[in-house]
Amino acid sequence: MSIVLPLDEEQRDALQELLNISMGQAANSLAQLIETKIDISIPKISAVTPTQLYSLLFETEDAFYTRQSFLGDVHGEVMSVLSQAGLSEVATLMDYDEPLSKEDIQEIILELCNILAGACLAGLSDQLELTTNLNMPTLFLPDKANFDELQWQHSLVMEVQFIIAISSFSMRVVFCLDDESLARMKDTLDELLA
Amino acid sequence: MFEQLVGKLPVGIGIVDESFKVVYLNDFFLDRLPHNMRDCYKETPVVELFQGQGKFLKRRLKSVFVLQHPSFSYWEQRPHIFPFKSSRPITGEETQMYQNMEILPIKDKNTGQKLACIFLQDVTAQASYFRAQQKLSEALKKEHEAQKKLIRKLDTAQSQLIQAEKMASTGQLAAGIAHEINNPIGFVSANLNTLEQYATHLIAICDGVKGQLEHFTDELKEQIDALFESNHYDLLKDDITELIAESTDGLTRVKDIVENLKNFSLETTEGVQIVDICAVCHQLITLISAQYSTPQYKFECELEKVEVMGNPGPLKQALMNVMINAAQAIEDRGFIKLTVLDSPTLVTIKILDSGCGIPTRHLKRVFEPFFTTKPEGQGQGLGLSVAYTAIEQHQGKISISSKEAKGTVVEITIPKQPAAQPPSSEDNEENKENETENSQTA
Repeated sequence: MSIVLPLDEEQRDALQELLNISMGQAANSLAQLIETKIDISIPKISAVTPTQLYSLLFETEDAFYTRQSFLGDVHGEVMSVLSQAGLSEVATLMDYDEPLSKEDIQEIILELCNILAGACLAGLSDQLELTTNLNMPTLFLPDKANFDELQWQHSLVMEVQFIIAISSFSMRVVFCLDDESLARMKDTLDELLA
Repeated sequence: MFEQLVGKLPVGIGIVDESFKVVYLNDFFLDRLPHNMRDCYKETPVVELFQGQGKFLKRRLKSVFVLQHPSFSYWEQRPHIFPFKSSRPITGEETQMYQNMEILPIKDKNTGQKLACIFLQDVTAQASYFRAQQKLSEALKKEHEAQKKLIRKLDTAQSQLIQAEKMASTGQLAAGIAHEINNPIGFVSANLNTLEQYATHLIAICDGVKGQLEHFTDELKEQIDALFESNHYDLLKDDITELIAESTDGLTRVKDIVENLKNFSLETTEGVQIVDICAVCHQLITLISAQYSTPQYKFECELEKVEVMGNPGPLKQALMNVMINAAQAIEDRGFIKLTVLDSPTLVTIKILDSGCGIPTRHLKRVFEPFFTTKPEGQGQGLGLSVAYTAIEQHQGKISISSKEAKGTVVEITIPKQPAAQPPSSEDNEENKENETENSQTA
């Protein structure tokens, strides 16, 4: 039922460039808020199967997971993977008082994801001139069994890693788009390239 | 119209400017403000108007203004951002309102001023329901745990029952076999007696013939001599008595063992009677040495007879289990020593072996049912637990001390005359006193 819509070389490059810019903006936003330097990895773009997506998310050990859906011109989900290590330093930067309660930690995770995912998405949609609205994030525990039962076969995945320089904290943001949105994005990319 | 609509919406809507001062509040917020504040709320910093989570609110507002991106907060992590009472102050279970909050960046259409819009949702009902569910699931979990424990207990009880059943049937089997063996042993031993007599007679006849040999003719003499010779008469004569004596001996031992076996299996249901501990010990040694021949067995007692009032079956079973353990502890060489000490009110039986000993970490658990160090299928771990129960029944005490690679001493103390009633605290004290006396004399 779902056919992968592979991006051609040009579209891919364009998307990569757009991602670079929007991710940079996201990192900037976060850096501004917590007043510290943030490094970002080069965004990766790939098509994955549900099982591949699962292992992609589980590359990081001892992590927190969240998901957040977005609607508008394009539909999809953002999944974030946050390392447990270094979270308390980030909490301090975010003006939380030690010791952190379980609720504090959850709140920090959700807020971090919201900021980063929101900034990434806003940047990307801005440049593609698309409107998107991000819904609230929720904590999420990926289960292999559930991933195996997912209804789609392939999805476009954009992945980027944020690293906070002064602590061991790192966070990965994974964007997934549904088929329809992918087609839409391809069109938009073509328009931009034309 | 929209003004009215926004005012009456069942969610809190508040708008603040970049200095966190309130620009607009809808009825949801206003209804919850103190009376005197309702008309003069504008231009007041939001954190002054709603105290409590000011720091948090400021941080979130700042993030929205800086990032121009919505921010969310949930009741699970931060239930009461605004210090509002539950909307059901009379009938509700919760006293404070649970809130979900969303802050959106907006812009004034006319001035272009950056503003933040706070949406506040009352989720008290949901939260209350959720928490009730959680409590319920916790209660269920607890109950489930309790049930699991109970099932485990039942399992143990069941296997104990099965074990007891097995033991009982083994005992019956042994008794049956012992009875069956007794019959053939009876006639074999009678026949053997007769055989012995006949053999004596035959030898007498032969010897008589030999003595009369002088009077025979040479031819006859030669023939008889040859007959004696060809049948190895001299050897036969020497051997036959020995063979019969040995067989009789062996048969006596078989009888003893069967007798003991019968004693042990049949007497379990007998009531309280006089038991001679010395005789029991002798019986035990015969019985156990038949199966475990490696250790040397010694018995020590100053008196011929030491009698206690007790139930012979369980008492013997207890001593036997301890003895078997002792015997199994000895691999190559060693001894088992039984000492019976008599005092006016108590009897102390010490079973000492020079075997492998018990590791300290196991020492505490040896009386636990089903505790065994033997490989699976070779021991049920019931021996000492059965012994413990039996000695308890006799209001006695059993204690064990051991050194690894040196040996083990099991000391059993039983009162000669068990108290007829269940022991009162006085009796116990008496017992204790007696015991200390006893251990001093020992």
